[in-house]
Amino acid sequence: MAFLFFLIGRGAFVRNRLTTFLLILIFSLFIFSACNSNPQVYTIADTTGDWGFPAPFTHYNRGPGYVRMSLIFDTLLWKDETGNLVGALAKDWEYIEEEKAFIFQLRPGVKWHDGEYFTASDVVFTFSYLKKHPYSWVDTGVVKEVVALNDEEVKVYLEKDYAPFIVNVAGTMPILPEHIYQNIDNPLEYTEEDALIGTGPFKLVDYNKEQGTYLYERNDNYYLGQPKVERLRFIKLNEQMIPQAILRGEVNAGPVPPEMIDTFKEKGYTVLISDYNWNAKLKFNLRQEPFSDLRFRQAIAYGIDREKLVNISQRGHGLEGNPGFIPPDSPWYYPEVEQYEYNPEKARELLKEMGYGGETLKLELLTSARFSSDAELIKNDLEKIGISLEIRVLDDKTVDARTQEWAFQMVLSGHGGLGGDPQFVNNMVLGDSFHSARYHSNQELKELLEKQLTIIDVSERKEVLAQIQKLYAEDLPALTLYYPNSYQVRDNQVNLYYTLGGLASGIPVPLNKLSFIE
Amino acid sequence: MGRKRIIDYLMALVIVISLNFFLPRLLPGDPLLSIYGEDALITMTPEAKVELTRRMGLDKPLWEQFFNYLSGIVKGDLGYSYYFQGPVLDLLLGALPWTLLLTGLALIISTLIGFILGVESGWRKGRLADQGLLTGFMFLNGFPDLVIGLFLLLLFGVVLGLFPLGGAMTPYSQLTGVSLLLDVLHHLFLPLSALVLTEIASCYLLTRTTVVTLLEEPFILTARAKGIKPKNIRYRHVGRNSLLPIVTRTGVRLGRLFTGALFIETIFAYPGMGLLIYRAILGRDFPLIQGVFFLVAVVILLINFFVELIYPRIDPRVKNNAY
Repeated sequence: MAFLFFLIGRGAFVRNRLTTFLLILIFSLFIFSACNSNPQVYTIADTTGDWGFPAPFTHYNRGPGYVRMSLIFDTLLWKDETGNLVGALAKDWEYIEEEKAFIFQLRPGVKWHDGEYFTASDVVFTFSYLKKHPYSWVDTGVVKEVVALNDEEVKVYLEKDYAPFIVNVAGTMPILPEHIYQNIDNPLEYTEEDALIGTGPFKLVDYNKEQGTYLYERNDNYYLGQPKVERLRFIKLNEQMIPQAILRGEVNAGPVPPEMIDTFKEKGYTVLISDYNWNAKLKFNLRQEPFSDLRFRQAIAYGIDREKLVNISQRGHGLEGNPGFIPPDSPWYYPEVEQYEYNPEKARELLKEMGYGGETLKLELLTSARFSSDAELIKNDLEKIGISLEIRVLDDKTVDARTQEWAFQMVLSGHGGLGGDPQFVNNMVLGDSFHSARYHSNQELKELLEKQLTIIDVSERKEVLAQIQKLYAEDLPALTLYYPNSYQVRDNQVNLYYTLGGLASGIPVPLNKLSFIE
Repeated sequence: MGRKRIIDYLMALVIVISLNFFLPRLLPGDPLLSIYGEDALITMTPEAKVELTRRMGLDKPLWEQFFNYLSGIVKGDLGYSYYFQGPVLDLLLGALPWTLLLTGLALIISTLIGFILGVESGWRKGRLADQGLLTGFMFLNGFPDLVIGLFLLLLFGVVLGLFPLGGAMTPYSQLTGVSLLLDVLHHLFLPLSALVLTEIASCYLLTRTTVVTLLEEPFILTARAKGIKPKNIRYRHVGRNSLLPIVTRTGVRLGRLFTGALFIETIFAYPGMGLLIYRAILGRDFPLIQGVFFLVAVVILLINFFVELIYPRIDPRVKNNAY
């Protein structure tokens, strides 16, 4: 406090008054530290906070942005906890193979938040609106025509048999109110209140971009039942502070670091474990020797101890990679593929067969900082089979750019999107993004991949996907090393869960709106 | 301040504006990917990608993008952020008040305290108080804001529970008036203290060194001989003369007002420009990067300009080129 005296430096009177004022101020700050917890409000903590104005065209293009919008807007179909599609705005649906068309039976008596009735023409309108104003989460390119048969039935004609439609379009596309959106010409910049009129279980009360907070109130007339909590609140907190806020009861749910989960389990909280929607992947430059030789890729697969990677670099919080690419918790997973159990002896044999006996092979592995401990472990493993690896750690955007230009030998990086429709396998084998192996030399694999998109029947599609995974594991266009876990903790007020396969088209966020419905 | 100086400033502005456009575009990485996220791109069709590239204006030739950027600046339009999907100006104006509240107050408080302690300490050179302060601040000077911030948050927020764990106000508390103000101050206290503690040391050390040198000057001896009270010598003579380096330093710090608090903003989940810039760079959000750095550059140029104006008022010798 001494410095303040220097500041004033005149008579005792002024000095005392100022001191008193400051003391009162500081004292009141301390008194004020009591938190205000309202049992009617359910609070979810988030480390980023701001995910955009939660209307379909204005939320940020990341999963959590979509999820905040999905509380207000409904889709035709929606996934339940086990990933099964259940009716939302459509209560039933069927596929008519001869016509390549889906018929959706809409739920009668559903009202928009402003009291207007929801009808089939809203669905028809949404499809045509999205053709004009593309929405990055839904690609309606395959839709030929949409017809309202009557107020409660919609028929969607497709250009071709297209299996991903049911999840990626019907289960992801938010249905817009025609009476509002027909007047909105630039939805990307439209953030008036009426842009938020949906049919969902919640309505937005407030969104604060700077503070990264959202406040919702429940829609008492929700057609699936009244939501359990009156108000739902999202707040922004630093990652390290979230566990403390949960323990103090200021927050009901939020992400926590793996080290904390045992503490929470002991105290009776529920720990939610994410599904395996993300993978760390080793990619090869298939345009170069020796990587274009199948035996070499197999040797690498035998030569890397994937279990060790999980146990050391992920401290056990993850799952060993499946050489068939699709994660083992996916309904499309096929287990009977070559597993490449760690076997340095076999790896050396394969290399010898290729003519690499004796002298060590010098190769370069490109990666970014987050994988540097994985890279070191791989280097050690490969040394044992006669490959000397030079690790180059670059900024991740640079790694991606080099991968895109084929300016690498091997790359260690990762990507998500493994939860949704198995269309992702096509994109990751045949696609031209840098995440893709860009592998076109196996004609059979190529044909099977194209075929799987056209099979609407689930069990039939599974059979084709089994063949695909078998071929993938044999050919190893890329090698999945592991699938990491992430954790969220919640108290037991509301049964939040990770939806299997991710929400909508595969979003790994444990906030399914159905959790709030009895 | 002659016409030549003003031309110098204008030239600097033009160079900064051009660099501002071209440098971010030299960063590796595809803006489309950074904005839409890899997961969205995995499911996105080539047609959708083309449409989105067009929507962001990234399909236009570079010179046309540059021209649009320049004409925007002239019209006072800083562009439209790809990632945040809003006008850049609105984003800046939204974050600016919180940043100024935090870093502005930190700058004022740390400069005032640092200066006063520096003068007092230098005046008492070699005595116990001086030695204590010097050791303490040398010690403090070694810590980055990150460490001090985390320490304060852990001690006062987590262990003692006296202060909130983050944010700039209690969300949806429906507070108004004085209690809202108190709530904001309550949230401000820890991040502000962390910044003040980080910045105070360098100001103190600078002032103390200047004062110690000044005390050996003949005019101080003259002042003492004239029988002027020690307190007046301390501030009217020594203090005023040691202001010059402080003004320079404060000018430099002012430029860092917007960007300097990134770590503190992150630790305390405090809204502000630091995080906005961080996310803009990470997301290759060119319009936002340009907008932020344009603002920073203009402010730095303005500050330089004012510092040059203030100098002769503090120390007339500067004007007469006596230095």
